[in-house]
Amino acid sequence: MNGKISYWELFINGIFGENPVFRLALSLCPAVAVTNSVRNGLLMGIAVLFVQTMANVTTSLIRKFIHPKVRIPSYMFIIATWVTVTDLAMAAYARDVYAQMGLYIKLIVAFAIILSRAEVFASKNRVIPSFFDGLGMGSGFMLALVIIGFFRELLGKGSVWGYQIIQTNPLLIMILPAGGFFAVGILMGFFNWIDMKYFGGKGAGGAGGH
Amino acid sequence: MIKITVSLVIMFIAAGIIMTVVFAKTAPVIKEAKEREAREARQKMMPDADEIVEAGEWLPFGKHAKYFECKKAGETMGYLISGYGKGYSSYISILIASDRDMKIREIKILGHGETPGLGDEIEKDHFRSQFKGRTVEQLEVVKTQGTDRIQAISGVTISSRAVTGGVKEAMKLLRARYLGVKE
Repeated sequence: MNGKISYWELFINGIFGENPVFRLALSLCPAVAVTNSVRNGLLMGIAVLFVQTMANVTTSLIRKFIHPKVRIPSYMFIIATWVTVTDLAMAAYARDVYAQMGLYIKLIVAFAIILSRAEVFASKNRVIPSFFDGLGMGSGFMLALVIIGFFRELLGKGSVWGYQIIQTNPLLIMILPAGGFFAVGILMGFFNWIDMKYFGGKGAGGAGGH
Repeated sequence: MIKITVSLVIMFIAAGIIMTVVFAKTAPVIKEAKEREAREARQKMMPDADEIVEAGEWLPFGKHAKYFECKKAGETMGYLISGYGKGYSSYISILIASDRDMKIREIKILGHGETPGLGDEIEKDHFRSQFKGRTVEQLEVVKTQGTDRIQAISGVTISSRAVTGGVKEAMKLLRARYLGVKE
C-alpha cells in the first residue's frame, strides 16, 4: 500500500471498483446458486462478509510466518478454520439464525473471492487496510447478491422478500440456474457502465493496482 | 524443504487446537439444543397428545431414527416417526406424524444440506402439505400436475423424490410394526 489510498476508498473499491461478482467475476457459482430470492442473497452475503473480513485480518497478521511456497494451503486452512468456528459457534449460540443460515456457511470454504483477497491483498498489506479491504469486498459481494436476488425473485416469483407483489410468475426461468446467468450478465454490464462513467474504467479511487 | 514442512505443521496444529477448543465448548450446547428442539417439534406435530412414548429404533440409510407412540388419556391416537431421505447433496431428516390407521397427518423437514434457494423449497408448506391424508400407496412423485400423487417442485426433483421416498419407508415400517402388513 502506498499510503495514498484512504480506508474509505478501500471500502468503496470492494463495492464498485472491484466488486467481487460484477467486476472481478469471482465466486459466480454461489452468486448464481443462492440468489433466487433477496433473503437468500442477504443471508449468504452476511456470512461471506464476516468470513472475508476475519480471513483477511488473520492472513495479514501471520503473513510473515506463511512460507511463500505453501501459501495457498495456508490460506485455505485459515479460511476453513474461520468457517468451522463460525459454523459451530452459531449452531450452539444462535440457533434461530443458524436455522436460516446454516446451509450457506459451510459453502464459504470454497469461495474463490475469499482466497483471492488473501492472496492479492491481505498477504501484502498491514492489518487495518486488510480489514477494510475485507469489509469492502464482503459488502460488495453482499450488495451484488441482494441486487441479483431482487431481480430474480421479482421476475421469477413475482415477490420481494417473500411478499407477493405480482400475482403471477412472469418469468419462471429467472429463479432457475439459467436465469441466474442472465441476471448476472445484465447487471455486470450495468456495473461496467457505472465504472466507465464515474470512475473512468479504473475502479473507485483507482485502487486496482495489481 | 524442512522450513515448508515446519511452517505448515505449526499452522495446522494451531488451527487444529482452535477448532478442537471451539468444538469441545460448543458440542454439548448443540446436542442439548437439538434434543430440546426435537422434543418441541414432536409435541408440535401432535398437539392433542398428552404423552409421547419412545417405541423403538430403526435404521434408514444406516442412521439412527426413532419412532414414538402418541397417547391421549392412555389410548394410542397416532404415531410419530423420524426418517431419512437421500437427497441431492445430503441426507434429509424428516419427521412424520401418522394417524392410527396409517394416514399421514403432517410431515416436517428437520434438517438437510440441500442447495440453498432450490433444494430448501422442500421445507415450504406448499410441498409438505401435499402429504396430508395420504397412505403408503399414494406416495409417488410426478413432475406433471395431478392430485393423486406428490408433485415434484420444479428444479428440485431429486430432493422431492428423496423426501417422498423417506416418508414412504417410514410409513411402511409403521404399517408393518403396528398393522402387521408384510411387504
